[in-house]
Amino acid sequence: MALRVDRQRAGLWLMVAPFLVGVLVLVVAPAAITVVMSLFEWDLLRPARFLGLDNFRELIGDAAFRASLRNSLLYVAIAVPLRVAIALGLALLMQRRERGAGVERAAVFFPTVVPDVAYALLWLWILNPLFGPLNLMLGALGLPTPSWLSVPASARWGVIVMGLFLIGEGFLIALAARRAVPGELYDMASATGAGPWARFVRVTLPLMSPALLLMAMRDTILSFQATFVPALIVTDGGPPPYGTTYLPLFVYRNAFEYLRYGYASAATVFMFVLTASIVWLQYRAIDRVRRGGIWAGSGLGA
Amino acid sequence: MTRFRWILAVATVGCVLSACTAAGGEEPTPVPEEATTISVWVSGDPEETQAFLDVAEGFEASQDAIDVDLVQIAERDDLIARLSTAFAGGEPPDLFLMNFRYLGQFESKGALEPLAPYLAESDAFTQEDFYPEAMSAFQFGGEQVCMPQNVSSLVLYYNRDLFEQAGVPLPPAEGWSWNDMVAAATELTQDADGDGAVDVYGLGVDPEIIRVAPFVWSNGGEVVDDPVSPTRSAIGSLRGIQAVQAFLDLRGVAGVTPTDEEAESQNFEERFLDGTLAMMMESRKVVPSFRTITGFDWDVAQLPVHRRPATILHSDAYCMTAASDRKDEAWTFLEFALGADGQGIAAATGRTVPSLRSVAESDAFLDPSAPPANSQVFLDNIPFIRAVPNVETWPEIEDVVNALLEEAYYETGGRGEAGELVVAILDQTAPLFERANVE
Repeated sequence: MALRVDRQRAGLWLMVAPFLVGVLVLVVAPAAITVVMSLFEWDLLRPARFLGLDNFRELIGDAAFRASLRNSLLYVAIAVPLRVAIALGLALLMQRRERGAGVERAAVFFPTVVPDVAYALLWLWILNPLFGPLNLMLGALGLPTPSWLSVPASARWGVIVMGLFLIGEGFLIALAARRAVPGELYDMASATGAGPWARFVRVTLPLMSPALLLMAMRDTILSFQATFVPALIVTDGGPPPYGTTYLPLFVYRNAFEYLRYGYASAATVFMFVLTASIVWLQYRAIDRVRRGGIWAGSGLGA
Repeated sequence: MTRFRWILAVATVGCVLSACTAAGGEEPTPVPEEATTISVWVSGDPEETQAFLDVAEGFEASQDAIDVDLVQIAERDDLIARLSTAFAGGEPPDLFLMNFRYLGQFESKGALEPLAPYLAESDAFTQEDFYPEAMSAFQFGGEQVCMPQNVSSLVLYYNRDLFEQAGVPLPPAEGWSWNDMVAAATELTQDADGDGAVDVYGLGVDPEIIRVAPFVWSNGGEVVDDPVSPTRSAIGSLRGIQAVQAFLDLRGVAGVTPTDEEAESQNFEERFLDGTLAMMMESRKVVPSFRTITGFDWDVAQLPVHRRPATILHSDAYCMTAASDRKDEAWTFLEFALGADGQGIAAATGRTVPSLRSVAESDAFLDPSAPPANSQVFLDNIPFIRAVPNVETWPEIEDVVNALLEEAYYETGGRGEAGELVVAILDQTAPLFERANVE
């Protein structure tokens, strides 16, 4: 018996080994090297020079870094709730098996499969202040036409709007999670006189909360990195001085354009710690709400 | 290993054949030699890099021993990123083409093979055959490290038809005053259909340090305290501030250049091609694309002047990497590319102002039938050319200054104050100059 369990376990390890090797070589090792590099001044050409924590001290005083940090936090704070809410909303709207639902769902998912650079180039055209279709449309409707690329606030909104259409994966998770909610619960809720809002708050949300937590955490991690291509291609980090310079662009410029790999690694480590902290806070917050918060009354939240 | 085996096989077959022929007394069979391939990385738009493709093809046609693998990279930033990782990975190209402003970060780290010894022994040309204004930008510690392929500079492109339609006298080839230029640009800036939006702008010039610098010099100011080993920005002198203010006023006061929104929507090159920009300040690099213009006549003139003529060097050089193991072959290519044949081919595309005097002063470059008619302007500019420093942190300094300049240039409501701007420039570039001197 014990032999069979051992053999089963060995089989599992064997199956998971390729993945583990991949994670080790492609994620853990580079991450460890990044942490080590953050303590050095290194341009990849001359021998590295040990600096201790000097790179981190310099980061704190660097106006470009502070601006990118602020921009990244602002992006995550606005984009993540919006993206999760839109993915959830669309999943609830499209969860029924109806004629044409497949086409609708494919349309929601489609932008996610467009290559990043092609997607960014498309938006470079859409957001063109004078000739872009977005402003032409807004103008035709008599609405204000923002200078998407030349005013910092508008440019930041432009980058957020670009991200709102890339919700395919979250949408699929939400769709699957909604489908997993047993229909009888809605029947029972209706029988006790619950309206649509009460059903949403007392049935849908509590039962989907693990999936929503997963979506929010995943989206936070993704959002810290997702600004890179739009900032590089659409806004070039501007309007000046650092309108849409986000952490990934800051890292890229310092590493690959200024050959300051150590300094860029320090910024990367900072970004990693920040992302981990926010994800942890999200986890704690949602966990607390589930245990004793607004959903407890439904009897399903705990 | 495969190549080695192949050569071994060919050599063996060759030996056997030669033994046979020796025995048989017949003509020896020629053994085909495998060509060596050198890699050359360049950046630029397809119209620009066509010149380098043509040169590489010309070189391959001139001999059989060396092939050129020319890699075209769209943006200079991407070329730098790719180079830095290639150096780190130990697989850099044999040669690459780079503007002098971005070389400091590679040169100071021993990644480049100095070309002075090759030049000293070359039969193809000597140091004196090239314009010293271009050569000096690629010298480090007095040694020639890279070899310039061009000696371009900032000039004024103008749409002759727009000037004539507006009844504005054409820019003289030289000695146009700044104020006369602004007056002409003001007359040329027009809202033809009266809809409140400007249809034709008088001038297009990017708010960048390499565009502002010539006017600071022209007014008697300086950009840095020491052109070779700068320790700080020197743009804050009275003459410097005057020139910067005059530049900012192009947008803020005269309104003769497109607004931020308009510039973002359509760049100056496209506007000039469209015939909606009367003048534009650029280097030689736009000529291949401007040669496609059929709807109007255009030409070039020297930059307008504050007190004395001045312009800025735009020059790219071929650099050899220290890690290359095909240095002799790479130099053979350079002797072709930088010699009369190669520079003649590049000049014919319109892209370059040849760094080799004999070609620059020949019809290959000056041919008046190939626009611009007045290419002589680029040669007349040479005595007034100055260069910004090529210290290690210069790319960072440029990025910081350009961001500040752009912000001040497009700022409305009278905030485009040169005094305030130069204080910010001095403040924000100080640590970057300091780092350049420490490293």
